[in-house]
Amino acid sequence: MPEIRVTPLGAGQDVGRSCILVSIAGKNVMLDCGMHMGFNDDRRFPDFSYITRNGRLTDFLDCVIISHFHLDHCGALPYFSEMVGYDGPIYMTHPTQAICPILLEDYRKIAVDKKGEANFFTSQMIKDCMKKVVAVHLHQTVQVDDELEIKAYYAGHVLGAAMFQIKVGSESVVYTGDYNMTPDRHLGAAWIDKCRPNLLITESTYATTIRDSKRCRERDFLKKVHEAVERGGKVLIPVFALGRAQELCILLETFWERMNLKAPIYFSTGLTEKANHYYKLFITWTNQKIRKTFVQRNMFEFKHIKAFDRAFADNPGPMVVFATPGMLHAGQSLQIFRKWAGNEKNMVIMPGYCVQGTVGHKILSGQRKLEMEGRQVLEVKMQVEYMSFSAHADAKGIMQLVGQAEPESVLLVHGEAKKMEFLKQKIEQELRVSCYMPANGETVTLPTSPSIPVGVSLGLLKREMAQGLLPDAKKPRLLHGTLIMKDSNFRLVSSEQALKELGLAEHQLRFTCRVHLHDPRKEQETALRVYSHLKSVLKDHCVQHLPDGSVTVESILIQAAAHSEDPGTKVLLVSWTYQDEELGSYLTSLLKKGLPQAPS
Amino acid sequence: MESAEDWLVESLRLYQDFHAFDLSGATRVLEWIGDKGVFVAGYESLKKNEILHLILPLRLSVKENQGLCPERDFKVCHGGFSDASVFELKHVPDTRLLVTTGLPGSYLHVWQVAEDSDVLQAVSTIAVPEKEGGLWPRVAIFSSMAPGVLHGVRLRSLKVVDLESQKTTYTSGVSDSEELSSLQVLAADTFAFCCASGRLGLVDIRQKWAPSETISPRAGAAGGRWCAEVGGRGPGPSIASLGSDGQLCLFDPRDLSHPVSSVQCSVSAPSPDPELLRVTWAPGLDNCLAISGFDGTVQVYDATSWDGAGRQVEPLFTHRGHIFLEDNQTDTAPLVTTHTWHPHKSRTLLSAANDASLHVWDWVDTRAAR
Repeated sequence: MPEIRVTPLGAGQDVGRSCILVSIAGKNVMLDCGMHMGFNDDRRFPDFSYITRNGRLTDFLDCVIISHFHLDHCGALPYFSEMVGYDGPIYMTHPTQAICPILLEDYRKIAVDKKGEANFFTSQMIKDCMKKVVAVHLHQTVQVDDELEIKAYYAGHVLGAAMFQIKVGSESVVYTGDYNMTPDRHLGAAWIDKCRPNLLITESTYATTIRDSKRCRERDFLKKVHEAVERGGKVLIPVFALGRAQELCILLETFWERMNLKAPIYFSTGLTEKANHYYKLFITWTNQKIRKTFVQRNMFEFKHIKAFDRAFADNPGPMVVFATPGMLHAGQSLQIFRKWAGNEKNMVIMPGYCVQGTVGHKILSGQRKLEMEGRQVLEVKMQVEYMSFSAHADAKGIMQLVGQAEPESVLLVHGEAKKMEFLKQKIEQELRVSCYMPANGETVTLPTSPSIPVGVSLGLLKREMAQGLLPDAKKPRLLHGTLIMKDSNFRLVSSEQALKELGLAEHQLRFTCRVHLHDPRKEQETALRVYSHLKSVLKDHCVQHLPDGSVTVESILIQAAAHSEDPGTKVLLVSWTYQDEELGSYLTSLLKKGLPQAPS
Repeated sequence: MESAEDWLVESLRLYQDFHAFDLSGATRVLEWIGDKGVFVAGYESLKKNEILHLILPLRLSVKENQGLCPERDFKVCHGGFSDASVFELKHVPDTRLLVTTGLPGSYLHVWQVAEDSDVLQAVSTIAVPEKEGGLWPRVAIFSSMAPGVLHGVRLRSLKVVDLESQKTTYTSGVSDSEELSSLQVLAADTFAFCCASGRLGLVDIRQKWAPSETISPRAGAAGGRWCAEVGGRGPGPSIASLGSDGQLCLFDPRDLSHPVSSVQCSVSAPSPDPELLRVTWAPGLDNCLAISGFDGTVQVYDATSWDGAGRQVEPLFTHRGHIFLEDNQTDTAPLVTTHTWHPHKSRTLLSAANDASLHVWDWVDTRAAR
């Protein structure tokens, strides 16, 4: 029974541990391998026991696909490939391949150095894991093996994020990962063609939200920065080099220009070098506007934004500084934070989620006294602002994407079924597709009816046409032939041709049946009676009276002969090949009923 | 696009807070449920409409440490589908029931907010006795042990129907055919009505029809269509009546014979769709009103020193967000369909327009700065 099976892995209903198992036409693919940042124990990993019960992962899985570099989509990858054990291919886009190991290493450092965790993956494991990666380009069809192919589509959201189409024969599944339907200042919007997959799998974390506009989020950011700077304060914005940094810089630059503001804006140098390097590499992944300006100048060459020197942190007066790392867990951003935390005129703006154990996470939880190295207590008097810039698709976005791809069915992961009944009805009514919402660990089975194309030989078709009756578009017609399956190719040819190709001798099976009829007349007249009778009864068949006196019904031969002993009885010999068994039997029973009286 | 950026920069000083959303369909309804949820509903005539119960973004509800809350999005808590267009929606206080009205106007629909599912269930309908082509009944709720639905298209068809038994518990009993434009329940036994002509009245349902009303015809109300709202905080008059040409009259409920003051609001043209006219009193500010329904703006006025008649007044604040943030470069300017004040946050309003936009804004009172 052809079917597609989908199982989201991981225990509990919580978001943040994307890992989905898909079985399609006998192929098994794992989509994403994320870590749940809220847990410190095994609950942060997806539940791989679902797969490992059945033997070695490498044997069971045909490939693993990673949609983008966020830790809730790739954080468990080194654990999965090196500690649980998987040696097959791992597919991701080029930017994801470049950035993943950086984030994984950062995360590893925090977990091991800051939180003192044992049994965490090592730096070497990250390297070994990345060796298994096969990078793909957008819209490039990649053959995983003879039957399985994948293709990446632009997803927006973050640099390198992709949606993937997984195809085996005529069956396909599209997995969206995280995507965004409205363009950013530095990334475009997600796009997919009308590929009509059997199933579209999408995250539904934000499906029941109506998102505040990007402009209002930006406005809030500008307002906060402006207020702090106006009162003479210093603003620290810890960023990850390849995240929102560029977006926020462009925004501030525009604003500073328009408002004619004088306070300096700085970038820490580590940021510019790294970011420039990656953006140059992946320029095709940014949006049109960036590409245009990049050609003219260096991405981080702004009029109002300058490179930072750590001595500047002690300068008097207002300023804005973008510094890494993003969660205030080490390095320059933490250094600056320590200097500025004690002044209530200052402000720190956290533009994203911070992992437990980092200073970022602590201050976002409201902690105002922090214990630093050497038992030193730091009092946080500066204003702490948490802003969310990450772009996810909401209900409207999901409807738009489904409208673009036109799948037969939609599957929503990471939502609570009870809270999504309305959305399910909305999708089913407006877009006329079935909607599934499995819980983690629950398998959804979708029956599919793949069409298998078969080539019919011209000779066979011609022969059927020669039978005389025209094909009827509304009526099925029984055809005899031989189906040859060779090299993923299906051909329907006549039996003779098949025998010839296979070099086999043909054997014919013929049945002959005797029907006794009471008829004193000559054989030729009996034959004529038989002909008239069958002609009138069998209107759908080709009934012919041959010159030698025999009657044919399609390929069945009926001959009338005299009975050897009884001149009043005629013997009808009804003969047919095994292909015409059904018609032959029918004719025999029909003739056994006798012929109608001949009109005189 | 240029002007949108300019406006955004301007908005930094005009608004304390500002959120802009795009609904899947435009709404004429903004009805509070508690202080954290609102209902919106579609009013299309040719397709199914959605009724949504939205929870306000956490950031707006959080009282302390607002800076640590990044959540700026509305959450769809419940949703339902309506074949009829919804022009008005009233929540029955202390219950999980809602009543909707719109075109076609032959029935009021009663809905229930389910406990274990997020789908709004259609529960029952209340037949409207007087069925007329393009008119639809206004609705107000008498909340008590046995809630009653006050509704009517014209004064003569005004009645109160018990929600559960569907028995009629009150009728106006008059033959007056004046068309109603708004109904408002004021207390356990009194309600206010406003007719399209501008005629206002306060009715006690314990007595036979003998409303305290304005003199008919309403002085200066010739032509145009009117709506009204009773409310207001502070010592001044508490009934505001708004006309489609921009005239605003304030009445003291104790003496409806003459308006206490009558002013001309700063609108450039009469309302293109007077059914969308809306005047509301600020629950948290003295003598403060908001009006909408003339164009893509919502205007806030301070009525404190208004007196006399005919004076042209300037708004304290004008919300232009719906004009400047319009995304679909269409030629037609957006029209604000409704607005409402936040029950606690004194300068926060919600407003919706016919381009399906929904704004939540907290305006800055520039006078306070001086």
